[in-house]
Amino acid sequence: MTGMKMRRHEKRVIGICLLAFLWCAPGVFADEIPQGEAGYAAKVKPFLETYCISCHGPDKSKGGITLHTLDGAFELEQDLERWEDILEVLRYKEMPPEDEKQPSGEDREAIKNWVDLGLREYVRKAREVAPVPMARRLTNFEYQNTMRDLLGLELDFTKNLPEDPKKPYYFNNTAEFMLLGPEQIDRYLENARRAMASVIVDPGEPKVFRKSQKWDVTQKGKGGAEIPVYQGPGVGRKTVSLNGWPATGEYRIRIKAAGRFPEGVDEVPLRLVMGSDLRHDSGTGQYEPVGTVHLRNRPDDLQEFELRGRIENHPIQVGKITKKGQAPPSMIITAQNLFDNGELNDHRKSAFDSSWSQSAPRVVLASLEFEAPVTDVWPPAHHTRILFESPLRQSDRKAYVREVLERFMTRAFRRTVSDSEVDRFARLYELLEPGFGSLEATMRETLSMVLIAPQFLYHTVAGEGLTSPQFELASRLSYFLWGSLPDGQLLNAAFKGQLDDPKVLEVHVRRLLKDERSNDFVDNFTTQWMSLEKMKAININQNLFPRFLYYVHVGERRGQEILFRPTIRDYMHQETVGFIAELIRRNASVSNIIDSDFAYLNEPLADHYGVEGVQGLKMRAVPIKPEHRIGGLPTQGSILIGNGTGSAPHPIYRAVWLREAILGDEVKPPPAEVPALADSAGDSADQALTIKDLLAKHRDVESCNDCHVRLDPWGIPFERYSAIGKYQPRVPKEGSRIRGFNLKEDKDMQGYQAYLDKVYTNGVDAKSRVPHGPEVDGMQELKKYLLKARLDDVAENVVRRLLTYSIGRALTYRDRFAVEELVKEAKKTDYAMGDIIVSICLSDTFRKTPTHPEKK
Amino acid sequence: MKKKSWYLSRREVLRGGGMSLALPLLNGMSWGREAAANSAPKRLVVTYIGYGVYDPGRKNDGVHPHSWYPRHDSGALTFNKASKAFESLKGSVTYLRGLDHAGGYGLGGHSSGDVFATGADMSGSEKTNNVSVDQMAAKTNGQHTRYDSLVMGTEGGTGSYGMAKTLSHRGPGQPVPAMHRPQEIFNRLFRPYAGQSVNDVRAELKREASVLDLMMDNYKSLHGKLGAEDRQKMNEYLDSVRALEKRVERTSQWTHEELPKIDTKGLNLEASYQDPTEYLRCMYDLLYLALQTDSTRFASFMTESEHSTGNPVGNFANQIFGYTGATHDIAHKRPEEASLKWERWRAEQHAYFLKRLRDSKEGESNMLDNTVVVWGSAHPHGSHSTKNYPVQVAGGNGLGFKHGHLHNFEGSRKRPLSNLFVSMLNAVDVPVEKFADSTGELTEIRS
Repeated sequence: MTGMKMRRHEKRVIGICLLAFLWCAPGVFADEIPQGEAGYAAKVKPFLETYCISCHGPDKSKGGITLHTLDGAFELEQDLERWEDILEVLRYKEMPPEDEKQPSGEDREAIKNWVDLGLREYVRKAREVAPVPMARRLTNFEYQNTMRDLLGLELDFTKNLPEDPKKPYYFNNTAEFMLLGPEQIDRYLENARRAMASVIVDPGEPKVFRKSQKWDVTQKGKGGAEIPVYQGPGVGRKTVSLNGWPATGEYRIRIKAAGRFPEGVDEVPLRLVMGSDLRHDSGTGQYEPVGTVHLRNRPDDLQEFELRGRIENHPIQVGKITKKGQAPPSMIITAQNLFDNGELNDHRKSAFDSSWSQSAPRVVLASLEFEAPVTDVWPPAHHTRILFESPLRQSDRKAYVREVLERFMTRAFRRTVSDSEVDRFARLYELLEPGFGSLEATMRETLSMVLIAPQFLYHTVAGEGLTSPQFELASRLSYFLWGSLPDGQLLNAAFKGQLDDPKVLEVHVRRLLKDERSNDFVDNFTTQWMSLEKMKAININQNLFPRFLYYVHVGERRGQEILFRPTIRDYMHQETVGFIAELIRRNASVSNIIDSDFAYLNEPLADHYGVEGVQGLKMRAVPIKPEHRIGGLPTQGSILIGNGTGSAPHPIYRAVWLREAILGDEVKPPPAEVPALADSAGDSADQALTIKDLLAKHRDVESCNDCHVRLDPWGIPFERYSAIGKYQPRVPKEGSRIRGFNLKEDKDMQGYQAYLDKVYTNGVDAKSRVPHGPEVDGMQELKKYLLKARLDDVAENVVRRLLTYSIGRALTYRDRFAVEELVKEAKKTDYAMGDIIVSICLSDTFRKTPTHPEKK
Repeated sequence: MKKKSWYLSRREVLRGGGMSLALPLLNGMSWGREAAANSAPKRLVVTYIGYGVYDPGRKNDGVHPHSWYPRHDSGALTFNKASKAFESLKGSVTYLRGLDHAGGYGLGGHSSGDVFATGADMSGSEKTNNVSVDQMAAKTNGQHTRYDSLVMGTEGGTGSYGMAKTLSHRGPGQPVPAMHRPQEIFNRLFRPYAGQSVNDVRAELKREASVLDLMMDNYKSLHGKLGAEDRQKMNEYLDSVRALEKRVERTSQWTHEELPKIDTKGLNLEASYQDPTEYLRCMYDLLYLALQTDSTRFASFMTESEHSTGNPVGNFANQIFGYTGATHDIAHKRPEEASLKWERWRAEQHAYFLKRLRDSKEGESNMLDNTVVVWGSAHPHGSHSTKNYPVQVAGGNGLGFKHGHLHNFEGSRKRPLSNLFVSMLNAVDVPVEKFADSTGELTEIRS
């Protein structure tokens, strides 16, 4: 498989045009080779024997591929896959290799048509069967959203769940990945009980807990109301300690605060976190942010701010167990001054003593007031949505319970529920009632059980006796575009059977896309598609890039910087996700993925890339010029960092990314027996100064060359983009070492930059010849080539990705003709992203997947 | 000893009931039931260190004094500077060179740790991870103790694909979350009723059993209406609910046994990341106590994950001996001095645990003799290669293990690491002929 799969999509320009032609006139060449065994024996077998079998036969099986066992029957699953591979390599003239004997153009065409027709015929006949398992449990992402929308409150529902498997460039919402074990059901139950404790409140007015604290604004320094810049645990903060707060409910924190500013600074971020004491600084003590306020007012003009959240989301500090028993738990609110202009990275020390922190802005916190639960409306809406007001509640408890159950289960199961289903949970209610006593407590436990029922936890294709294809379609749609359950409108449409009408369906698709819940879809989809999480696993060399990340205090948890303050890496994630969302919103062409005239930025990011005139932290679309060199995805920091080493660019990772994520090829990892890059070419890969030479040496080894000759050329044009995603056209002379930033020698960043300018003397070689393409010098030329010659492939990849994600299963050769149609359709509108999504939702593959398999 | 000749495939084990439950949800069970039996408990522990080890090759024709390996080639053990902590354990340790899991090859640099205890072909045919050696043992013999296994780590949870924070897996798609908070581990192990009376606990369990019955009914009604493929797929749900039922049953049985008395002297449950040495000792102490009280016999402990840069324990080099870079850098840059400190510290922590076991009398011998402990990493000498794991096997002298040597399996003597697992499983009375890609037993250390 390996070899052929890898080459599969190294396509030529003719790709899609030819395909379209074939589609219109499939019979043109059909006469030349009869279908089935006869044609196979007469023409196809001799062809394979002449051009293929010497490498892919009984004697040799390059790439693990053998073709001598094929026949003309198109029956065996593995044969069908093999035929599709053959079709692909013929289509893009990848095989036979350039230096081997080549078939004539007519022969190639004739064989290709014979295979295409054979496959097409098979798929036509097979469409009705070939069921695949659809039973997949909700991904953690879907579970979180579903619980949120079902229960009407935002808690962290996935913290205690095992993480879902992730595989770079793959989607994990398939049956294959979404497995379930007892541990997980346990945790679901734990979650459900925790959620229900919050959702359903006890009767009567709650006791409100309040705590407030004041600081002396007139006093300066440590004892007063001032908070200096946060530099690590225990330094620069104010705390308020809570004892005896309610376990559940919404809280409100009101603060009065201002900033004290040195010249040239007019804003300081004040952040509150709540949980364990920060001073514990350990994995055993945790906390969660409450929120951040950007202060621009002065101490003579104190202003009040209000922050809200759910108490349950904040970890408590568990009391110690001693011989006398367990001490009561506590919770601490910590206020931090998160000012950072980058200089925190410069190895400055104490917050109070250094001249630097004296000159940095201070937060002035005059008072803090905590209150919970907030009782604006009582009981809260999430409670009355389940335990609604009804006369039945008093007059006929049994009927009331049934109605509560039916309403809740209908939403949880995303369909109408049967009487027997309600019966079962009503029995459960009766069973639990003696132990739990009140309606509220019993209902909490009963509904918790609903939330571990398979009807809730799984996407399934249940039989007609239970549900209708309309409900299944409604769920498929909402989990595609929201990652959550269908809302009332969609369920109603399903109930009335209206979703069969493509016009109605389209209205819903566009409605769902407009809803802000679709941001969740774009984030989840893009993160997996682009494998964005890789970026966070890269250790950035802080000597080489001293101001890139935030300051890491000795002993602080590196890598968890999000807990302390957002970094440019977090913005880069938002940049890529926001960019794709913007393409969908604008219904813009897929071509923007390669290059675009806008970027999605905020001020720190714009600074990073050298784009002028962007202010503030809000991310938004910003027009850019070609000289910024940042259009499209390939030059976004998230991609360049995630596919670098943290110190240097990495052309192979970047090449793999381009082929996997953008062109849609499958690139297999290097086989086990192949030595690592560094080992095969001397031990100097870390310096990465001569990476092109290194690669050339690597390719000298024959086993490496087979793959790398198709890989490296795609990565070399990225070389002018550094490991932190900046355009960097110069590198130091070969063999020279670069020292990191040094406060003593460099004084400041300008000093370091001057040093770097002195050392970075050589231009970067970013020239390479694209396989089956021209020579390109650097990213701009590569983008041009991709737009000109490979746009159809990029579009096909986008279609395939979206379709895979939307139906939650891998595509096979059976889907190739459906994909073909979708791509053809999309080309009419210049591959507009929004339209692609709509036509996917209207396609048979999406709407009818899969037809109900017959029961065995 | 003649072994049963039936072949136990991993998949059959998964299907055929006896699902293991590492951690009871709310309640604990019994105690020392087995103490009445004559034979000493047979135990199995797997532990992990990240980023490979320092192994720079020979120096002056001998082993490098800073190398993790106490000697370079096969032969009777002598100890160098870095491994000195194990010197007094000479008769109880073996070093292995050249073993690895073929299933980890395709996972790449920092991901092969996922399969260290499983050997699953995760990047190939299996797609997800598979049952780990400790859970395999727990499935078969976990019923003798209150908990069938204990799963610990320094970072907690399961981690994700290619970034595991746990060594243990019950089967495909069923990672067992590792526990990392000392107080929580202590409570789960030794204060399982959380202040409730035993009678209340029993009543609660009884109700839970009836609830699960109804949940099973509910599932069955759905099951009949599913397509064939979905039905098969959803057996995992069925299995899970059954496993919960079994556990409820088991938990109620064990409420009739007393909880163990724990000697908490010297146990610092407040230990935190701030002091990695203190923290690791505490974790090892808890592991020791779990074994010593016979609360469990099978355990895993991921002392460092392959992605622990965000965790001071994984970054101990910085805190313990002031190395200015990330601990991970030592693996790449191989500075001689830092590497010595690195390996010596890791050796001291693990040796501490082994010595506690050795110093605890058990019958005629000691606990270590009845406990086989693996300690290793899924990388060789600090590089991103996924071959040739550094592995130390300790203890189990009473289970048939022979120690005191380094065995080099490089080149033509190449064997799957899973062979060691087969030997270990047989040593703890889990008769298997095959585990993952094994080709037999590792007769060099146990025949």
